[in-house]
Amino acid sequence: MENSVPDFVLFLGRFHPLVVHLPIGFLFFAFVLEVFSRWKKNPVLTSGIPLALFLGGLSGAVACILGYMLSLSGDYEEAALDTHFWFGIATTAIAFIAWGIRIEKIKVSSLKKLQPNIAFLTLLVILLSVTGHYGGNLTHGSDYLVKYMPFGGAEKQELVAVTKVEDAEVFGHLVNPILQNKCASCHNSSKKKGGLSIADSLAILNGGKNGDILIPGDASNSEMLKRVLLDPHHDDFMPPEGKTPLTEEEIAILTYWIDNAQANFKTKVASVETDENITGIASTMLGLSAGSSSGSEIPIPSVSLVADDKITELQVEGFRLRELAFESGLYEAVLAPNSNENGTTDDMSKKLEKLLSIKENILWLSLENNEIKDDHIKLIAQFINVQKLKLNDNPLSDAAVAQLTQLENLTSVNLLGTNITAKSIPSFSEMKQLKYAYVWKTKIKKEDLEKKGINDYPKIIID
Amino acid sequence: MCNDHQHKLRSNNKDLQKLESQLDRRHFLKKTSLGIGALALGSLLGTEKLFAGIDKNSAPEDILKAYNKNRLGLPHHLPKAKRIIYLFQSGGPSQMDLFDYKPKLSDMFGKELPDSVMSGQRLTGMSGNQSTLPIAPSTFNFKQYGESRAWVSDAMPYLSEVVDDLCFIKGMQTDQINHTPAITFMQTGNQLPGRPSIGSWLSYGLGSDNENLPTFITLVSKNGKGQPLKASLWGNGFLPTEHQGVQFRSGKDPVLYLSDPENYDGNDRRHMLDYLGNLNNLQHDAYGDPEIQARMSQYEMAFKMQTSVPEVSDLSDESDSTFEMYGKDSRDPGTYAANCLMARKLLEKGVKFVQLYHQGWDQHNYCPGGVKSQSQKTDQATAALVKDLKQRGILDDTLVVWGGEFGRTVYSQGQLTKENYGRDHHPKAFTMWMAGAGVKPGFSYGETDDFSYNVVKDPVHVHDFHATLLHLFGVDHERLTFKHQGRRYRLTDVHGNVVKDLLT
Repeated sequence: MENSVPDFVLFLGRFHPLVVHLPIGFLFFAFVLEVFSRWKKNPVLTSGIPLALFLGGLSGAVACILGYMLSLSGDYEEAALDTHFWFGIATTAIAFIAWGIRIEKIKVSSLKKLQPNIAFLTLLVILLSVTGHYGGNLTHGSDYLVKYMPFGGAEKQELVAVTKVEDAEVFGHLVNPILQNKCASCHNSSKKKGGLSIADSLAILNGGKNGDILIPGDASNSEMLKRVLLDPHHDDFMPPEGKTPLTEEEIAILTYWIDNAQANFKTKVASVETDENITGIASTMLGLSAGSSSGSEIPIPSVSLVADDKITELQVEGFRLRELAFESGLYEAVLAPNSNENGTTDDMSKKLEKLLSIKENILWLSLENNEIKDDHIKLIAQFINVQKLKLNDNPLSDAAVAQLTQLENLTSVNLLGTNITAKSIPSFSEMKQLKYAYVWKTKIKKEDLEKKGINDYPKIIID
Repeated sequence: MCNDHQHKLRSNNKDLQKLESQLDRRHFLKKTSLGIGALALGSLLGTEKLFAGIDKNSAPEDILKAYNKNRLGLPHHLPKAKRIIYLFQSGGPSQMDLFDYKPKLSDMFGKELPDSVMSGQRLTGMSGNQSTLPIAPSTFNFKQYGESRAWVSDAMPYLSEVVDDLCFIKGMQTDQINHTPAITFMQTGNQLPGRPSIGSWLSYGLGSDNENLPTFITLVSKNGKGQPLKASLWGNGFLPTEHQGVQFRSGKDPVLYLSDPENYDGNDRRHMLDYLGNLNNLQHDAYGDPEIQARMSQYEMAFKMQTSVPEVSDLSDESDSTFEMYGKDSRDPGTYAANCLMARKLLEKGVKFVQLYHQGWDQHNYCPGGVKSQSQKTDQATAALVKDLKQRGILDDTLVVWGGEFGRTVYSQGQLTKENYGRDHHPKAFTMWMAGAGVKPGFSYGETDDFSYNVVKDPVHVHDFHATLLHLFGVDHERLTFKHQGRRYRLTDVHGNVVKDLLT
């Protein structure tokens, strides 16, 4: 279809978006002059109005012609195009009529009471807005204007938020966001560049004017991928010059969808062969990147965020809180050594109780050298998510270690310089996730370990 | 407005008072107008710190709060490492005399290095003009150690005891063949000076864990010979100046110009700094230069360091057994061993990045003797540091890195005899190791060919190493950026992949 239109016509047609701003300016300015002159009662200002109206009509006519030329490219949806087309012509016609009335070539004496000048100008502004709006819809897509509207907004396809990469839909969660982000501005239901729209799965399957864009299982021969992988200076490279190209990760996801997921629109990651690289990219895309490198480890608990006031309150108590990953709500809490030098055992309990108000948020906890006693352990054992616990250089006994077995997520515990003995070794074995127990400078000796026959896990490190 | 400032006039001298009052009247109007422009310009230029600085006069909890909130949205994911000690072996340690065992070489003594191995590589001016490139097998004996059966030469008897904690990277590669560019590349990700070093990036991105000590501290072994080290290696580049590494020295003054001058008791130092801070704040309001704030925070840090540094650099409370473990050198301040011990203390106190340098690994000639004497100076303390950190339970969130800027050639530079040879610089393959937080213990990654010349399996480029290091700290190397001269920079610039195989 495109071939039947001379290139020169299309070349001129592309000036439509440029020229179209002239009538907008002229006509709107005519309206402003009219209103302003009435308000200020200054008739001198009205003298410019005929010229503005004439130029507005003239440039509007040129814009109409150029717009028609552009429409011949066939890249646009017919219905939306028609509306814009007729509104454009109407605007131009009304502009000339308004000019006629203004210079009194057209006499509408019967309408005198209706004040034809201001009436026509108001009509023009309305027409301009409507025409402009439809034009904008054609170029940018009909949801362009309202996409970021703070309230209401166009209905969005709500996807269920996923917590695991495996649960994500390959198309819905991974591929579609890329397409919508990088391709949809030119390939949508109203602006179909090359006859292609990616508005929904049907449209994608329909392909463009050169045929199908997908060959399931064969990414390298699928038009969609071929265009993306061309040399960036090639004429057919997508997205075209000036738009943001796809990143390597995005290309990897598209390839994965076509090759591994057979370009299916419904499959989930779990049912597709997925290598580590893709899992990594996917989890980053889904905002699940935390700890993605470790498969065998304890799942990271999802917790609510901690209010700033709360943090401040706890910091004043002497705890130093550091968020382990930004806005994860997971914290490392460190009580500086000797923070309770002048306080009593109860004072320490109070500090710990305060920290317990965010107990689920604490992942690493350090209470070294703070006169922590066995009595405090029942508080410490309530930090259910703690993975690393430092209790070194505190007067703790075997009873303390026995209570720590409640901490099911503990991977490393530091009991250096405490009073524990070999009796604690069975407790260590009870802690399922425990990898390291540091017991240097305690009463546990190397011989004790050999006696108990503990070798591998947990690793009890003496020296 | 002028009167508001009157009480701040502090000088006794009439002329000085006059100057100070001028600061109010004339300059206030002039400079605030200028200043607004500068502020606007500053925000246009994207200096993020401009409005984010911490007001030192605010309540302590505000300060705490300000430290706690990470403005950059870091860390990106849960970190494995909390702190790092980087044992930089400057000069380029000979990988095939230490860790990269090449048994086949012993049959090839003196034979010409095959062209197929060199594959037309350009050599340095030091050995490029040699008429012959004879293969020099290592004179050291290699044995396997530990459960991981890692090969270590008898140059490093102490380190061989801790191999099960180490993660060897045998396929390291760099782009640079000469010392200064190679070290600069290793420390900053670029061969030309001027980019921020690894420690500065981490300090900028993650902030401090101890407000009384710098986040990034550098220790250089004393009496170092060989290629000089320079401050740009631990420099902040274009990052705000407070992120540069602070060098600790041996002797009376670990940090230069920190102690009070003679006959000054330091009692009104706090007062002086507050007043200076006020003046600097005025200046900052006028010009909006973020460097003024950097300077102010450095004054504050210096003030805090007046008490914290003597405390932390005092090794007298270490037990005899600790000194024994690190070796007899550890009692001699400024040696590699003493620095290792000091590094452990700094890490325990919450310093995030300790960068240690030891020079002298540049064995162009007398390689066997040179490697041996270098190992004697460093081996025991290195191993002791790993052991010590492990004993104290902090190895699992501390990253230890050992390595130089490049490797050395398999062929002899200069004359080859049975007992003696020299080795030239070699960027295409060398060995480094890491230990601790988040890296696989007792693991060896990558392989070189029979000549330790080319990497044949799993190469790790310097950029990849940087990306992996940042990853361990919870930082996505592609997202920690700083805009400078119109574009965003990263430690890895446009390169680097996290080597996931190294991670636990």
